[in-house]
Amino acid sequence: MASDDIRALSEELAADPASLAFVPLGEALRRRGDLEVALRVALRGVERHPTRADAHDLLARVAADLGDVERSITEWETVLRLAPGHVGARKGLGFVCFQLGRLEDAAAHLSAALAADPEDGSLSAALQTVQAELAQRGPSPVRATTQVSRHALAEELEAAAAARAALTEQHVRAARPTLGLAAAPGADDDASTLFDDLLEGQRSAAMLLDSDGLVLAGRYVTADGRDLAALIGAQLSGVSDEAGRAMRHLGLGAWTQIVFETEAASVAMAPSREGVMLVAAARPIPLGFVRRVLERALQRASQWLGEGA
Amino acid sequence: MSTAFAPLTESLIRHRGVLGAMVVGLDDGLIVHSTLQIGVNGNAFAALTASLYRKARRSSNAAGFGATGFLELAAEQGRVCTAGGKELVLVVVCESRVNVGLLRVELLRAAEQLP
Repeated sequence: MASDDIRALSEELAADPASLAFVPLGEALRRRGDLEVALRVALRGVERHPTRADAHDLLARVAADLGDVERSITEWETVLRLAPGHVGARKGLGFVCFQLGRLEDAAAHLSAALAADPEDGSLSAALQTVQAELAQRGPSPVRATTQVSRHALAEELEAAAAARAALTEQHVRAARPTLGLAAAPGADDDASTLFDDLLEGQRSAAMLLDSDGLVLAGRYVTADGRDLAALIGAQLSGVSDEAGRAMRHLGLGAWTQIVFETEAASVAMAPSREGVMLVAAARPIPLGFVRRVLERALQRASQWLGEGA
Repeated sequence: MSTAFAPLTESLIRHRGVLGAMVVGLDDGLIVHSTLQIGVNGNAFAALTASLYRKARRSSNAAGFGATGFLELAAEQGRVCTAGGKELVLVVVCESRVNVGLLRVELLRAAEQLP
């Protein structure tokens, strides 16, 4: 993409910060090697459009180019939660798993991508490369070091991104979530309203998530009536995964609660059977209130799961 | 060895139930300065807590909640509390009995002095 095009996209984004021009702009900057600028564009895009898979996909690709494997994995996993059939995310995860020597995972992601796009010859070539590595590895795992397939896959990612950029974008505006239960989609659904009476107000939310970050019960309704439970759950469930990993090395036993404060909300999480209970409350609702709601919601979830078993 | 961060960690370690206080690089998880009781594995707490904080920060941003301030991880046999600046975070390792409310206030106040 020429500099003039980048300038035009930048101007479009400056004129309308909610524009989806950040996707082709970030991609163009990434291809040009302006990774730090591309990262800022992608981060702002994700913040403004948290429910858009292509925003997270852009951030994942920029992170991968910056060598931030952890973030790229997180973002591509988010893409798959938002759009389970997303071929670009499968390819990206295939690439990073290959880089990490997780050959079985790489093969699984690439196979899924190939199943979705069987005409893609270079994708099948990449899968063959991974399978050949797997065959060579034998019984003892060996960390993959070659960069050849990375470049092959990177080209594929760029091709997929170009195709996406060419598509007509659907303009969906998604502002920062503002908690509120004014409108109540799914109000008749027992699972979605399971914790409503515990919240004692209209600026907090409670959700029960399974081990994959999918919502089992509860809801997160914004002030304008949208239920963002799936998105919020998918994003925040990763924190509990990280805590679980940390606890294996710290010698403090199992984790029982995570609490953190952000600009917009106080969040509390606790393990619940095989999943996680999550409570979020808009600031400045006190942290102590959030923890109390969490404890009561955990009891409610336990009863509900018991009844469901 | 005393550094510019010594007053921060020393003010935190005085709290009842606090076993260690560290200033840690957010990106690399390495200790910049620490005041630890004997037997506390500072390196492990620093690395893993910085990683958890990074994860919470990214997840919070992605969820649209904005920047992360105070974070507490409670476990069966203790707690870890952290709060940070852009480059460094303060990590406090403590027993379960610690007064979290008081520690939170001190931690946030101390974190304001981090770059």
